[in-house]
Amino acid sequence: MSSGERPDADAPAAAEVLPLQVEVDDEQAPRPAADAQVPPASGAAGVLGDVDGDGDVDQDDYDAYGAEAAPPPGEYQPYAASMDKRAQMWSLGRRSEDDELRELERRLRAQLSAADPIEERRKLPLEFLWKRWREFAMQGRSEAVDEFGRDPVFAGKIDTLLEFLYSKYFRVSVQGLENIPADGRALLVANHSGSLPYDGAMLMHAVKRDHAQHRSVRPLVEDFVFHFPYLGTFMSRIGGVRACQENAERLLQQGECVAVFPEGIKGIGKLYRERYRLQRFGRGGFVKLALRTDAPIIPCAIVGAEEIHPMLTKLTWLTRSLGIPYVPITPTFPLLGPLGLVPLPTKWTLRIGKPLRYHAEFGRAAADDRILVNRLSENVRGKIQEMIDEVLVRRKSVLFG
Amino acid sequence: MAEFKRRKRSSSGAASSSASAAHGERLEVDPEKRVVAVTGAHGFIGSQVVRRLEGDRRYAKILAVDIRKPTLPLDKTAFFKIDLTLPAADGDLAAVLREERADTLVHCAFLGKPTHNATFAHELEDIGTMHVLNAAAEVRLPRLVMLSTTMVYGPHPLNPNFLSEQHELKGHRESRFVSDKVAAERQVRRFRVEHPQTAATVLRLAPTVGPTIDNWVTHFLHRPVAPTLMGYDPLMQCLHESDAIDAFKLAIDAEHDVSGEFNIVGDGVLPYSTVLAMLGKLPLPLPSFVAKPLSRLLWATQVFDSPPSFLDFLRYMCVADGSKARQVLGFSARYDIKRTLADFLGMLGTGIDGTGDLAGATGRMR
Repeated sequence: MSSGERPDADAPAAAEVLPLQVEVDDEQAPRPAADAQVPPASGAAGVLGDVDGDGDVDQDDYDAYGAEAAPPPGEYQPYAASMDKRAQMWSLGRRSEDDELRELERRLRAQLSAADPIEERRKLPLEFLWKRWREFAMQGRSEAVDEFGRDPVFAGKIDTLLEFLYSKYFRVSVQGLENIPADGRALLVANHSGSLPYDGAMLMHAVKRDHAQHRSVRPLVEDFVFHFPYLGTFMSRIGGVRACQENAERLLQQGECVAVFPEGIKGIGKLYRERYRLQRFGRGGFVKLALRTDAPIIPCAIVGAEEIHPMLTKLTWLTRSLGIPYVPITPTFPLLGPLGLVPLPTKWTLRIGKPLRYHAEFGRAAADDRILVNRLSENVRGKIQEMIDEVLVRRKSVLFG
Repeated sequence: MAEFKRRKRSSSGAASSSASAAHGERLEVDPEKRVVAVTGAHGFIGSQVVRRLEGDRRYAKILAVDIRKPTLPLDKTAFFKIDLTLPAADGDLAAVLREERADTLVHCAFLGKPTHNATFAHELEDIGTMHVLNAAAEVRLPRLVMLSTTMVYGPHPLNPNFLSEQHELKGHRESRFVSDKVAAERQVRRFRVEHPQTAATVLRLAPTVGPTIDNWVTHFLHRPVAPTLMGYDPLMQCLHESDAIDAFKLAIDAEHDVSGEFNIVGDGVLPYSTVLAMLGKLPLPLPSFVAKPLSRLLWATQVFDSPPSFLDFLRYMCVADGSKARQVLGFSARYDIKRTLADFLGMLGTGIDGTGDLAGATGRMR
């Protein structure tokens, strides 16, 4: 192609139609290329393609150019010609910069790669659907949980259920809440029972609801419950923490009020005939914890919880292989199926005792004295057993009162 | 820009013998003219560390070691093609370190994504680290910084909520990807005892997420659907890619002794289900007895690029405590988990993370 003939054919035509052509361009910048079927990369022909001067760019223009006049892909107008046009545009006071940008954009669009349909996808209402789905998925959960996984939104929702259980179902009466300090670390130690950890939830709710400072108690949950499908997640979202020394120490260092159930799994799996007889208190880990972190031990007696699932016997046969320690047999479970999991509406009494300040008496180093730790652990157990017995003596009925 | 070709085999023998002849002379740290070698300089972490060092005038020269040249405009970086999986790599690396008088070696030649080629992974991560440590011992290198991951603690039902650096490295017995990194860490631990003259720092990065990093986490999160194990919803933790590079810079810069392991983590944890909800992913709940064989099948047929062992990370917590890095290294993450996820989505500053005012400053608006 001879580059000499094109400016002669092109420049006068462009100069004549320029004002009109710019106006057309304002509205329909990307269109001409598509309509006129000009080879995509021949950019100059797209914008300045209105050769026949009828105000739009169409097949006529393409024909008017002639086959050899159309610049081949990738080749642009000679420098002099384009400078000439720019000078004219400037003199006309038109927005030539805009035109050039638009032209550049159009050229880029003409070279879309295979990956660009992904760009186009953004124009679909997918973004809207995505946002809707996101809003839906975020319902009932908060965008931030505390470092142990307590979700305030979820816990707030569960609060209603706990309140129902607390005041209507189990009709919990609490004594001695003033023994829990207004702030700072404290270690609540309570008896454990009832197959499912209702007692932990009720203790937590009692302190949250009726304590002067509405403190939140973090119950330590044994591994069996914590890794039980759904139950563990549930406990974690409402404030439960997996029971281990590291977690408990971290919580107490942060000045939280921690509840432990040293009977652990032995307590949860107590048979009906063993009710209110405290099992061994683990290995005294809670005493070590209190001594190490200078936390007062506050004994708690929970009466009523030990009758909600009166377990007659438990099956251990073949259950280990399923990953559960036993299958409880109660008068209603598994006889009534899932209905058997509904706890009996017993009347509960929660008694919170005077704080035991072993850390002040023996000091931190005592945590390594195993005999002392065991003795203190037995002391606490005796104390709680005593409190339970006192409440039991005064109790008139299991279900009413 | 100086550029060196890989030394010929024949010359590597000579280089290492001359190095051992000069044995005894120790490389020193010149605080105004430091020379840092970076292995795995083509990878994301490596290349970003190189880039960050390029901009710091205290660093006179950076030695980029990899099998491919980093795709960055480099001024004071020299590229050395050394394949750490080759048997003579330690001698080659030692020769480079000695010749260029390097004071610090940053070892980032680790895989970001699990591979089916277990032999290659082992050769690169475990044996490659051995070569790097051999070279460091040979030249009596003052400083070594190594990349690792918090995955080395392993997902385990007995994990406390926050794993400290002293915690045992349980890894995952079925996962090559994790156990090779555990093996590399064990080597460094032994190296530290045998070569007390080298301050060996190990940075255990939490799963690193960001708009540009390409690793198994971002791959996993780029899919529209994500599997969940029914009934399990562990807490997750992540680290923003730029915070990861910050941690490396701090460890390289440090003027005090930063020998030891550090957990490098972003602030905050979120349940896995909330992470998926925030990213707008569709969760696919599966019972474990279905998920395990399914994932094994998908991995064996190479349809899915996460091995079945990673399912345990969706079941048990593996969250690390970053307080040691904060106290000793002075590292604090600029992105918490929410902002990291928002940045991953490319929606930082659009209100999704509650920081609408950052729109102009740091946002990558969509």
